[in-house]
Amino acid sequence: MPSAAALRLEIERTLEHRFPAALTPAPRTLYEVAPTGVASVDTLLEGGLPVGAISEVTGPESSGRTSLTLAFLAQRTETGQVCAWVDAGDAFDPESAAASGVDLKQMLWVRCCNQGGLARGKPWTRLDQALRATDLLLQAGGFAAIVLDLGDMEPAHAMRIPLATWFRFRQAADRTRCSMVVLGKTAYAQSSTAVVLESAPSQPEAVGGTVWRGCTFAVRRGRQRFTPQLASARKPPASTWSATAAWEAGRRA
Amino acid sequence: MSSELYACVRAAEFPAQALLRLRTDLETQPIAVLDGPALQQTVCSLNRHASRRGAVLGMTRLEAEGMSGLQLLPRSVEVETAAHAVLLECAAKFSPRIEDASDGTGCALVLDIAGTERLFGPPEKLAQRLRDEMATAGFRVSIATSANFHAARIKATAARGITIIPAGEEAHALEKLPIASLALTEEHKETFALWGIRTLGELGALPEVELVKRLGAAASDWRAMAHGSARHTFQPIEPEFALKEFYDFETPLEQIDSLLFIGARLIDCLVARAVGRALSLASLSVDMELEGGQSHHLAIHPAVPTVDRKFLLKLLQLEMGAHPPLAAVVSLTLTAEAGQSSKMQLGLFAPQTPEPSRLDVTLARLKAIVGEDRVGTPLLEDTHRPGSFQMEGFQVDAKPAAQKVECPRMALRRVRPPHPIQVALHAMKPVAFRDGDSRFEIAAAYGPWRTSGCWWSQDGWDTEEWDALAASRNGEAFGCLLVLDRLRNEWRLEAFYD
Repeated sequence: MPSAAALRLEIERTLEHRFPAALTPAPRTLYEVAPTGVASVDTLLEGGLPVGAISEVTGPESSGRTSLTLAFLAQRTETGQVCAWVDAGDAFDPESAAASGVDLKQMLWVRCCNQGGLARGKPWTRLDQALRATDLLLQAGGFAAIVLDLGDMEPAHAMRIPLATWFRFRQAADRTRCSMVVLGKTAYAQSSTAVVLESAPSQPEAVGGTVWRGCTFAVRRGRQRFTPQLASARKPPASTWSATAAWEAGRRA
Repeated sequence: MSSELYACVRAAEFPAQALLRLRTDLETQPIAVLDGPALQQTVCSLNRHASRRGAVLGMTRLEAEGMSGLQLLPRSVEVETAAHAVLLECAAKFSPRIEDASDGTGCALVLDIAGTERLFGPPEKLAQRLRDEMATAGFRVSIATSANFHAARIKATAARGITIIPAGEEAHALEKLPIASLALTEEHKETFALWGIRTLGELGALPEVELVKRLGAAASDWRAMAHGSARHTFQPIEPEFALKEFYDFETPLEQIDSLLFIGARLIDCLVARAVGRALSLASLSVDMELEGGQSHHLAIHPAVPTVDRKFLLKLLQLEMGAHPPLAAVVSLTLTAEAGQSSKMQLGLFAPQTPEPSRLDVTLARLKAIVGEDRVGTPLLEDTHRPGSFQMEGFQVDAKPAAQKVECPRMALRRVRPPHPIQVALHAMKPVAFRDGDSRFEIAAAYGPWRTSGCWWSQDGWDTEEWDALAASRNGEAFGCLLVLDRLRNEWRLEAFYD
């Protein structure tokens, strides 16, 4: 009587011209992920945002992308890891970050400006400064997460970032095991990105018409590089998550 | 057998050596150092290349300028003081008991090396190591060892290289030296010249009693010195350890690259001195004297004490780039604060953090890109004023955060500076606002939230905040924070909810 292994081998040989390795599951590499701190999003991402890769959180204003990113940073700083926020639009709010649980002492904030630094007085744009700063931080290593905040940047400008820049960022993030998160209105990194999360506002929660208590956001996984795309999946997986107002914590940030 | 043993280290032409120590590019050039009042400057020191070209001590400036190829440098007391400290520090590595026996333009140190054989070997080996150490520090020295203090000192002054005088052979070693080796007055020199006494051997052969009768009690000491038997009470000095280097430029420098060239050499010297004592540089202060009498100060504080020359030079370059001197630099002083070498206990499960020295350079580069006060860690101020914080320098602190937030919070994206807007009200609630040319309808407004404070000072505030759900004409909805400044009666768009 033939053994199960021999039987499987025979079936696979028979079907080889139609299905290569029909009964052997395809080898799959497990990539390290870091949880975002939002259960539904972690489920959507099968664990969290990838470590050593570029993730993009996209969406219009009030779509929860900043809240989600801060929740992710809170998880990273909670374990004593160091993060950086490269703020191209100078829009970061430290009070919101503290209310979200981010340990501000563990976070480096780089605020880009129009005039540039004192060095030679070159008229660098905010975008140029942000890219240079991100490059330096990625090359320095040791940062568990680096957020490149292009949330206020017009897509027409940010789309002009060369692919070579994103490719370099991807390589550096991979080498330094850094989770790089790009906040933007749309996805910019194209083939260099590992995960794209598309956020959208859903509906606000109000109490008695006088207090804005929180908001529910919709999120959709637009692209996940390390997950095999199933032919049967017609729509990308989506989910919702809720964020409460900072005052709900019962203390000021 | 005498238990005393001394080694005398003498750096001849010390003013020239002190200047050339920091200018390695001039080592092969003929150099003469000028000293004295502006119009009466004379050559006080020169190197061997200048001597070969015929330059002599005491030449006037005019005569020196007439010699082709001879470079003239002004004497600098600060540079000599710093060089003397370095010389003393090098000598202190071999003996804690040192006496300063400098004379004229030579810098001489006599070391009490009795009992150091087990550490450094016989006097020959010690002398060779001492000479190598001095050469590393940039000094060309002559060394003599003897059981007699004065014999070692006189021989080191008169001879080049290394001279070892065996015990009991002092008189023989000194007999051929000129009588000028002793510190005689001009009158006594003339007297000895009239007597036909030209060497120490001839002086030592004179009868002591007759000599004292004619020249006084001091003659007995001279005779004893010539014999190599003069007694001496050793007076050790206690050198103060100060990491300081000074350089006085011949012409004012404007280029940062040129300053860094000298700065690199000064850092090298400071690091070498710190390493000699198993220390590191915890901070570096740079003082520049500028043309016109002003001064410029820079300070470098590495995250951890370091002896990495390239790293310190990079920090200096970035600091100078960020804060360049406003005028040409006349002199440069580097003062370092010593610290213990960094020791860090790494852990297998400790979180990965940036390397401190590399992070310093990265932060300096970031500051050069975006500005000094725009890189760091936000520190929330202890006030109820909305949006108040200050920037602090970023330092890695691997301690985990104390607070933990269970559910995510809605975050704000600040508008800096806030946009002034025009708001339409209905029943005391905002119903629409205009930001520039764009008009937004407010679907729901939650508020008002009133805060005020500091009414007793100029920077007081009294605001009314509204959380608004607005929509533009093309249907884009967003949440925002509208603020009414009640003191100025102005509406502002402060932030977006995101």
